[in-house]
Amino acid sequence: MKALLSLGRGVILAVSILQVISCRSLPVINPAPPAAAINQQCGQPFFASPYRFVHKIEVALPGGKTATLLGITRVEPLARSVSSAITTVEGFLLFEARYDKALHVYRALPPFNTGNFAEQTMADIRLIFLSPSGPAADSGVLEDGAAICRYDGEHGKIVDVIVHRDDTWEIRTYSGRSLLRKISAWSVRDRLPGILELTGFEAVRYSLRFTLISAEPVEESLNIQ
Amino acid sequence: MKSVAAHFSQKKYLQILTKPLLSNGRFYFQAPDAVRWEYTSPLKSVLLLRQGNIKRYTMGTKGFVLEAGGTMEAMRFVLQEISRWSKGEFTQSEYFTATLKQGQEPQIILTPKEKELATIISRIVVTLAPEKRGFIKSLKIFETEHNYTLFEFTKVQTNVNISERLFLEAE
Repeated sequence: MKALLSLGRGVILAVSILQVISCRSLPVINPAPPAAAINQQCGQPFFASPYRFVHKIEVALPGGKTATLLGITRVEPLARSVSSAITTVEGFLLFEARYDKALHVYRALPPFNTGNFAEQTMADIRLIFLSPSGPAADSGVLEDGAAICRYDGEHGKIVDVIVHRDDTWEIRTYSGRSLLRKISAWSVRDRLPGILELTGFEAVRYSLRFTLISAEPVEESLNIQ
Repeated sequence: MKSVAAHFSQKKYLQILTKPLLSNGRFYFQAPDAVRWEYTSPLKSVLLLRQGNIKRYTMGTKGFVLEAGGTMEAMRFVLQEISRWSKGEFTQSEYFTATLKQGQEPQIILTPKEKELATIISRIVVTLAPEKRGFIKSLKIFETEHNYTLFEFTKVQTNVNISERLFLEAE
C-alpha cells in the first residue's frame, strides 16, 4: 500500500535534479514590419476553439529508467479555461484539475498533492495551450528569421512566443533576464505538434516529453459537479 | 479455469471529458497466478504479473522499454484480483469485501477493506456473463462516482494453451 501511495515519488525525484539556475537571457528582437503579419504567425501554436488532447508523458528517472503517464487536456480558449487529468497507462486517475479563473483540484493522489504541484502543472498547461493574454509588447524576428512576439506575463514575467520557419515553435518565460520555462514543439502537422518538450530552469531543472496520441475538437460545455 | 485468453475494450470516463477515452487490448491468464495485460491501442504497453511481481513495458522508439515502478501498483491489485476471479474466487481477497447482486446479469460488488486503497478505488463492479458460469463480462472500476473505467471482455477462450513466453516477455 505504501508503494501505491508513494507512486510517482520517482517522478518527483526526476523533476528535482538540482541544477544551477539558468542564465540564458532574453533574445534580441529585430524589427520586421508589418507587425500584424508577425503577430499572426505568433498565434499559430494556439487554437481558437475548444480541443481535447491526449498525450503520452514520459519522465526520465534517475538510473536511466522512465515512467510513462497519460495526460488528458481539455482547452477552452474563449473561456480561457483548461482542464487536466493525469492517469497511469491503465487509466488510474492520479490528478484531475480545472483552471477557470481559479484553480479547482478534484483529485491529487500523493505525490501529486505535494507543494504547489497543482498550481505549477496548471500554469504550465495554460502556458502551452492558451495564447498569452493581451497584445504583444514587442514583436519582430530573431537572427535566424523566426517570428517572435513578446508579452507581459503574470507576476512580472516575460513570455516569448517564437515560431520558426519550419512551423516548429517555442514558448519561453523569463523572470528578469533569466529563463524559467522553455516549451519546444516539433513534428508539427496541421498546427498540431507531435512532440512537446517542457523544460523548467528554476532552482530545480526538469524536463517532460509529451507525445501526441490524439487531438480532437470538442463542442459541448462541461458540467462538473 | 486453468487459463483464459480474451480481448478487452477500455472506456475511461472522466468528469472533465464529455466523451470517454478508448483503449483496446488483450488479457491472458494462466493458473495459478500469471497474468498478461496488454494494450494494443492507442498506446502499446504490457503488464506482466507473475508470483506477485509486476512489470510494465511501454513501446518506445526502439521497442518495448521496462518502466520504473510506482505507478503500476494500483494495477497490481486489480490484476491479482482478476487472477483470483478467473479461478472463481471472489470472497478470498485480503483487500476487498465482495457482495453478490442477483439479477439477469449477476454482479459482484467489491469494496476496499482499507481506507488507503479506497482513496484510489472506491469500488469495483464485476458483471458476470449470464450464458457461461464464471465468465466475466465486464469490469467497472470506480475512483469516484464520476470517474471510472469500464472494461468489456470479448472473444473469451478458456482452458486454451497459452505460450509461457507471453508471461515472461513483452514482445
